[in-house]
Amino acid sequence: MLPVAGLAKALRAIRRSIWVYHLNSGSCNACDIEVLDALTPYFDVERFGVKLVGSPRHADVIIFTGPVTRESLPKVVRALKAMPRPRLLLVLGSCGVGGGIWWDTYATTGGFSKLEEILKEHGVEVDRVVYVPGCPVRPEAIIYGMLVLLGLAEQKVREVELPAPGG
Amino acid sequence: MSLVKILEIALKTGRVTRRYPAEEPLLTPEFRGSIEVDPAKCWGCGACVKVCPPNALTLTPSGKGLVLEYFVGRCVFCGMCAEVCPAKAITVTKKFELASTNLRDLRSRVVHEVLRCSVCGAPIAAEAEVRAVVKASPISEEYAILCPKCRKERFSRSVGLRMGAPGGGSS
Repeated sequence: MLPVAGLAKALRAIRRSIWVYHLNSGSCNACDIEVLDALTPYFDVERFGVKLVGSPRHADVIIFTGPVTRESLPKVVRALKAMPRPRLLLVLGSCGVGGGIWWDTYATTGGFSKLEEILKEHGVEVDRVVYVPGCPVRPEAIIYGMLVLLGLAEQKVREVELPAPGG
Repeated sequence: MSLVKILEIALKTGRVTRRYPAEEPLLTPEFRGSIEVDPAKCWGCGACVKVCPPNALTLTPSGKGLVLEYFVGRCVFCGMCAEVCPAKAITVTKKFELASTNLRDLRSRVVHEVLRCSVCGAPIAAEAEVRAVVKASPISEEYAILCPKCRKERFSRSVGLRMGAPGGGSS
């Protein structure tokens, strides 16, 4: 992991020009369509300087979709290994974040938390991850997630624990 | 297409880009976002847990009590939990700005107190559920606060006494 000051410096450097690489790890294409939607003139992520590139070697941020199927796992690890530091990830959709409805099947790794362990075994460190739930994610949610990743927007969700009133 | 024609179309269409963070998002009335569980209404019956396709809702007994946990990161926003909830405790909100830097912040919990059997002390169900059942159906509270095993025992003993079986003591 990069030191916090180093990460903040890197984030400041890419703030107005973020090159993203879209990595599909076996998603159903709903999230991918929404990524495409976010790039169209209608939602226009390019307002924030976000530009889609064709190789993980050029990417500042990887937009990650899908539950990581067994077939795609080695390719995902290789793509993330090819990415330069700092590795910033925007994990999209309920599949990417928690495994979705495939969270406990044999054919998928089941979400990013389990992929992270596999990445650690391969010596691939991820510096910052932002999870964007949604099934599929709205283009607005992708934009919001990108702003959270860059530190331009505040995170709205918090862990809540409420007791049910007794008596 | 000539440049003039493109310009003509562009002028006629105008600006279509949404200024999203500065402007209201495009939410339709049918849109389903994350759910909210009202702890004052929830029984802890687990109907939502049974129906949840990706097991985003879980009901697990722990040291604190019966914990109903909602993990937004796995939710597919189908809204079936709100449909099936007998207490109408679950509402589907329009919240979609759920991005988070860690998975912990995506969890929300409702902790229920567990009712224990008045005879053997085994956990039965959430207290709120038993209260709701006593209110809704003609079952006496004396029976409702027993675990299934003790209830069966007491019932068969009382039936036996009525049929004239010997013994049974005071109960």
